[in-house]
Amino acid sequence: MDEFQEILQDFLVESFELVEKLDEDLVLLESDPEDLELLNGIFRVAHTVKGASSFLNFDVLTHLTHHMEDVLNKARHGELIITPDIMDVVLQSIDLMKSLLNTIRDTSSDAGIDVSECVSRLDKVSGGDGAVPVVEATPVVEEAPAVVEETPDNDDEEEMDYDSMDADEVEAEIERLLQQRQNEDKAKRAAKIAAGEAVPEAPPAPDEEEPAAAAAPTPAPAPVAPAPVTPKPAPEAKPKAEPAGEAKAAAPAKKAPAAVEQTIRVDVKRLDHLMNLIGELVLAKNRLIKINDDVEERYEGEEFLEELNQVVSIVSLVTTDLQIAVMKTRMLPIGKVFNKFPRMIRDLTRELNKKIELEISGEDTELDKSIVEEIGDPLVHIIRNSCDHGIEQPEDRVAKGKTESGTIKLKAYNEGNAIVIQIDDDGKGLDADMLKNKSLEKGIITEKEADNMSDKEAFTLIFKPGFSTAATVTNVSGRGVGMDVVKTNIEKLNGIIDIDSEVGVGTSMKLKIPLTLAIIQALLVGVQEEYYAIPLASVLETVRISNDEIYTVENRSVMRLREEVLSLVHIGDIFEVDRILDGSEYAYVVVLGLGAQKLGLIVDSLVGQEEIVIKSMGDYLKGIEGVAGATIRGDGGVTLIVDVVALMQMAKGVKASASSQNNAVAQISHEKSKASDYKIMIVDDSKTDRMIMRKALEPLGVSLIEASDGQEALNILKSGEHNFDAMLVDIEMPRMDGYSLATEIKKYNKYKNLPLIAVTSRTGKSDRMRGVESGMVEYITKPYSADYLSSVVQRNVNFKSEFL
Amino acid sequence: MSDKLKQIINKQSEQKDVGLDQSEDIVQLVGFIIGEEEYAVPILTIQEIIKPINWTRVPQTPPYVRGVFNLRGSVIPLIDLRIKFGLGAKNHNDETRFFVLKQGDEVAGFVIDRLTMALRIKKSDIGPPPDTLISDDSMIEGVGKQDGRILTILKVNKLLARDF
Repeated sequence: MDEFQEILQDFLVESFELVEKLDEDLVLLESDPEDLELLNGIFRVAHTVKGASSFLNFDVLTHLTHHMEDVLNKARHGELIITPDIMDVVLQSIDLMKSLLNTIRDTSSDAGIDVSECVSRLDKVSGGDGAVPVVEATPVVEEAPAVVEETPDNDDEEEMDYDSMDADEVEAEIERLLQQRQNEDKAKRAAKIAAGEAVPEAPPAPDEEEPAAAAAPTPAPAPVAPAPVTPKPAPEAKPKAEPAGEAKAAAPAKKAPAAVEQTIRVDVKRLDHLMNLIGELVLAKNRLIKINDDVEERYEGEEFLEELNQVVSIVSLVTTDLQIAVMKTRMLPIGKVFNKFPRMIRDLTRELNKKIELEISGEDTELDKSIVEEIGDPLVHIIRNSCDHGIEQPEDRVAKGKTESGTIKLKAYNEGNAIVIQIDDDGKGLDADMLKNKSLEKGIITEKEADNMSDKEAFTLIFKPGFSTAATVTNVSGRGVGMDVVKTNIEKLNGIIDIDSEVGVGTSMKLKIPLTLAIIQALLVGVQEEYYAIPLASVLETVRISNDEIYTVENRSVMRLREEVLSLVHIGDIFEVDRILDGSEYAYVVVLGLGAQKLGLIVDSLVGQEEIVIKSMGDYLKGIEGVAGATIRGDGGVTLIVDVVALMQMAKGVKASASSQNNAVAQISHEKSKASDYKIMIVDDSKTDRMIMRKALEPLGVSLIEASDGQEALNILKSGEHNFDAMLVDIEMPRMDGYSLATEIKKYNKYKNLPLIAVTSRTGKSDRMRGVESGMVEYITKPYSADYLSSVVQRNVNFKSEFL
Repeated sequence: MSDKLKQIINKQSEQKDVGLDQSEDIVQLVGFIIGEEEYAVPILTIQEIIKPINWTRVPQTPPYVRGVFNLRGSVIPLIDLRIKFGLGAKNHNDETRFFVLKQGDEVAGFVIDRLTMALRIKKSDIGPPPDTLISDDSMIEGVGKQDGRILTILKVNKLLARDF
């Protein structure tokens, strides 16, 4: 039973591959019905599937493919011209074949799908076309009704099949198949022996069938007896049918056997495991680099450093190469996804009565398997959308002076660390105003939002769930679901969508997707004492802005970024960081782009770019909003990875908080309504000096608090009872002098920007230097005039002149 | 040499047998202190016990989830049992330990105040939790008595279950 399962698995994998190819070839064939080579190829594919399924007793599938074969065989012999109608029937039968294969995969049996309708249509095509000159008398017409009864005997099937060919061909086909199987089997056995018992390599099989040898993993040693194979080649040979199929395709076409690609199938799990191991290695490498840096610093100039440096750089180089190599093994050409579109477009054009041509380029561009699997659905929706809403009816196109048939261009290319898939159509384009009106109607946006929307933002409306411009729901689209799926899926892949459109000219959609998901480039940012990693794929740019550039619009912080208005949110508000606001003059803004939305994330510091490995945080902490996972940094610490998708959502929620952040700024910088709101501490051990200062400042009407030495001043500050705007500090004091006080104060983030003004009789240059070093902003030497002191204080606390 | 080895192996297997015989009515636990009380968990659920290391805070979690830490390449949640048991946080000291518990695929680290000892306790000495505390949500597996001490035996699966 196990053996059967194994064979079945191989059969399924192979058949799915073949069917996919069939789809593609048939569409090609339709545009060039005369291409005999192509036709032969298609026939052989159908034949292979039929043969394999009959061996495995999938009667329904055999039955269906058999009739397909009839039609194709006739076409091959020029007895039948492939018209679009015939093609429809053939394509329909391929669809049936696919669903049969799916059923087999799920249930190990092909029961439950009715093929008789399709079979009779096929028969009609192959038999009913009596008008077509029949060169050789083929008994198809008579036979067809007989086989409509299901559960035909296998052997009969085989015979009937070959009956439909001419005698020579049958001979040749049988001959070839047999040879193929024998060779395959020999090769397989040989490989087993070679692997298991290390039998010395014998000269390659003196067989006339070269392609078989080429397809086999090792040269087939001749001495292995082919005899036992022949009696029952069926169960053993069939799993290898794929190379056989390839070989068959190659042989008659007289193609060089060397062209057959040498590949092996590997379980994806093994590759995943390999990727995990590489991940560990990358982390270790990061750590090594960090240690190397530390060592370098400590033992500068030592000789062994040179050597260490070399080793570290080799290790890091090889690790990077290794990572790329393993990543490549997981890469698939995007053509795997693209090749189902010609068929789709064909079906759509017939359904919608439009003329559409599909141009595909860059199908060799490769990307990670997991992404290839995810990208299919969004592309289907986008292309359907282009066909249905983008491309106009032929007569409309002609009226507009365009060519009758529309063109959809599907293009893939690499751009840096990402792959770009571009879908262009030359249809009617998106009308921003119309989109806005529709959205208003459906209540997706408010009037105010609509007014503030740029054209580009309006284009993104098509991604809103429930949005549809179609007046009626058609088979193809109009439910307002598809584009929402596109957005969700692309965002899941950390991708970005960019739409460009011009009314009457066409629409261009760009999907920018990172190459892989397991190891990513990230931007490390700091907020207070914490660090977070933001996937670089979602980072558009970083900018440093001064706080004046942050505006508040409707309770949201925003900034102007060139021509756009960008919403801002502080990372601390999202991740509940206790923010002892330092109110520095500048803010770093990381501009995040996701799908078509943008957001500015304010951070305290930008640390740099690093390669990180995504690790899950286990079930216990799964699904924490805003956190996509964690990574281990070079120093062994854990850094959380920002989930940009969730963050964008959360940013909407912190609307109020974004403004409260502004309030916080206001509070800390003390929005003053009267002069006495300003609080200034005077620190001096001499009562007289304190008095002089008090006298100088009292006319301003500010609140003054006195401390007689550094320690006392620090205690007052720590108590948090008062929020000081500035401190006047004497240098020479008992217990704690002015310098130490300043140094202590600057240790607190909260007071980093509290202006400290030294008031002292020390006038030496070195004293001034020390003052600056300890964090004093001004240095006033005694004696001073009251006005001077007052003006210095006013300047440092931004005293509002209207209070004077 | 091989004789000696055999002897040792035999001896060990004998011991093992003895151990197995007893395992039916003996439970091996590791005791630890949180606040004033002594608690215990089955020894086999403990992956390791380590001294406190740095951890990273995780936002959007209850206060008793301290964050995550790096245990030889794995990212593991850190849960403070003091806070979870409503005792308020305490600074870590020389006796503080991280208990790494594992059951199935679930792994988590727990902050405890102090380790006491590994102990063997007869099953018959373990009583059910007080009636007032019996419920499906209870984290208490039972109450063990030994030499006048009372140990609260905790349910590891409940400790490892996310409850927020």
